[in-house]
Amino acid sequence: MGMVQQPMFSEVAPAARRAFFVLAVFAVCLLFMFPVLWLILTSLRPVSGVYYVHRGLEFTLGNFAEVLGDERIVHAFVNSGLIATLATVLSLMVTVSSGYMLSRFRGPIARTWFGTIYVFRCVPYISWVLPLYFVTQSWGIYDTYLGLLLPHIAVHICFFSWLMKGFFDGIDPSMEYAALIDGCTRWGAFLRVALPSAIPAISALAVLCWLFTWNEFLFALILTGQKTPVITVVMAQFVSEMGLQWNLMSATAVMALVPAFVLTLFGQKYVVRGLKI
Amino acid sequence: MLLLIAPAALLMALFQVVPIVMGANASFRDWALNNPKKTWVGLSHYIDVITDPAFLQVVLPNTFLFMAVSVCGALAIGLCLALVLNRGFRGQKLVQTILLLPLMVAPVIAAIMMRWMFNDQFGIVNVVLEAVGIEGQPWMAQRWSAFAVILLTDIWLWTPWFMLLLLAGLQSLPREPFEAAAIDGTTAWRVFRYLTLPMLRPVIVVCVVIRSIDAFRTFDIVWTLTGGGPARSTELFSLYAYVHAFLNLDFGKGSAAAIIGAVIILVVGLLLYRLTDRVMKG
Repeated sequence: MGMVQQPMFSEVAPAARRAFFVLAVFAVCLLFMFPVLWLILTSLRPVSGVYYVHRGLEFTLGNFAEVLGDERIVHAFVNSGLIATLATVLSLMVTVSSGYMLSRFRGPIARTWFGTIYVFRCVPYISWVLPLYFVTQSWGIYDTYLGLLLPHIAVHICFFSWLMKGFFDGIDPSMEYAALIDGCTRWGAFLRVALPSAIPAISALAVLCWLFTWNEFLFALILTGQKTPVITVVMAQFVSEMGLQWNLMSATAVMALVPAFVLTLFGQKYVVRGLKI
Repeated sequence: MLLLIAPAALLMALFQVVPIVMGANASFRDWALNNPKKTWVGLSHYIDVITDPAFLQVVLPNTFLFMAVSVCGALAIGLCLALVLNRGFRGQKLVQTILLLPLMVAPVIAAIMMRWMFNDQFGIVNVVLEAVGIEGQPWMAQRWSAFAVILLTDIWLWTPWFMLLLLAGLQSLPREPFEAAAIDGTTAWRVFRYLTLPMLRPVIVVCVVIRSIDAFRTFDIVWTLTGGGPARSTELFSLYAYVHAFLNLDFGKGSAAAIIGAVIILVVGLLLYRLTDRVMKG
């Protein structure tokens, strides 16, 4: 890994201190990676070797093949992906205008809206997801895409409107005023001038939103049943129902990690930049 | 202007306000499957919950202990890592990417990994312990060891979040005070105590408040790791409400518990903001 480029103190750090630093960084990295590495290793073990992952060297991709042969799991992956993608697109569409409003308008309506989203951000999920079970059933959308998608968008509104406000606060409004004077409508100023400047920040939020929805568990547990399985719920059921098949369990978990990894790897630049605002 | 917030407001009304009102209504009724009339019972569910020894002596202490330890732990480790990364060294980008890894792992998957690693018969933790001559523990079968595994999982998951935000905060600090301190030959500890920490205060306060509110409602890792067991001894508030509503099928009591929790966290959130701000000033 790395070596100390600039010593912490003005005097040159002794070699021992430098070695200790490198070792410590290495150890911390290993500690952070270990659970994931162990999961990957377990997912590659055949049934005969899974209980003694640390012994023996037989590896197989059979677990992945077996998991992919399970119709319910494949269905759950497709559902999770679809819901995460749709929730991302729709949440951003809804919150970008709400955040813009919070950033550019003053007065009682803007204040009330800000107060509302602030309070709702604090309400524990369980307090509104419990009754949502009955609400979605009485509207006939329980255990459907719609019944999971809409609550997901609703939960993102508070936090994302707040972040979007921050993004727009960082953009100088004078360009929009210029556009307004030139005869542009307020909507035109928003869509043609403000929105394009906020694109990098919005991309960061898109990555985060996709991850949140893909990883989400409680909503899916309460609002879906047999018809619309999603991957987090299927995995949690796995633990209780097939508690001993750790090789299949791990293979499923590794496959659920892959899309999140790929997305974050390509989107890390945006996420880091977006979260800093 | 109203058009800009109309879609968001409509969605929130339908999927947050309506359920909350309905939950409040249910909390005053005998909303069990065997009672289709849903009789009005007044405050009796609330009294049930706040006089329930399990709620008072297990669930509430667990929830607050979880909140305190997991937030402090992740903050302390996150701050250390942010300080190290802020120094800048070769390979820093790679190290940062590795440390951000837990941020993308679903809490359910993290819980599954830990459950496997702490498995009493085949888990790697016990294998290593036995190799160095310490007796392996049935981690998930004892209250405090199970609770410790839950805490460990949560700290592992959330340390990168603190690290990322604190690192961003560190990088936005002005350089001059640090240069002046270096010229004066101030020790590293004094620079940290009297320069870095006070200047980082706003970021730390925001991080602690946001994360505490979220920690209070933690559900997924506990559900997957222990299910609240052994013998309901690691239950947190969200699990308590869920168990009463969906496993005991007493929706009224579950809703009452959920509303009590919401009130507690609104009050605690406010107090916490004041407290953190004052502690950081003092």
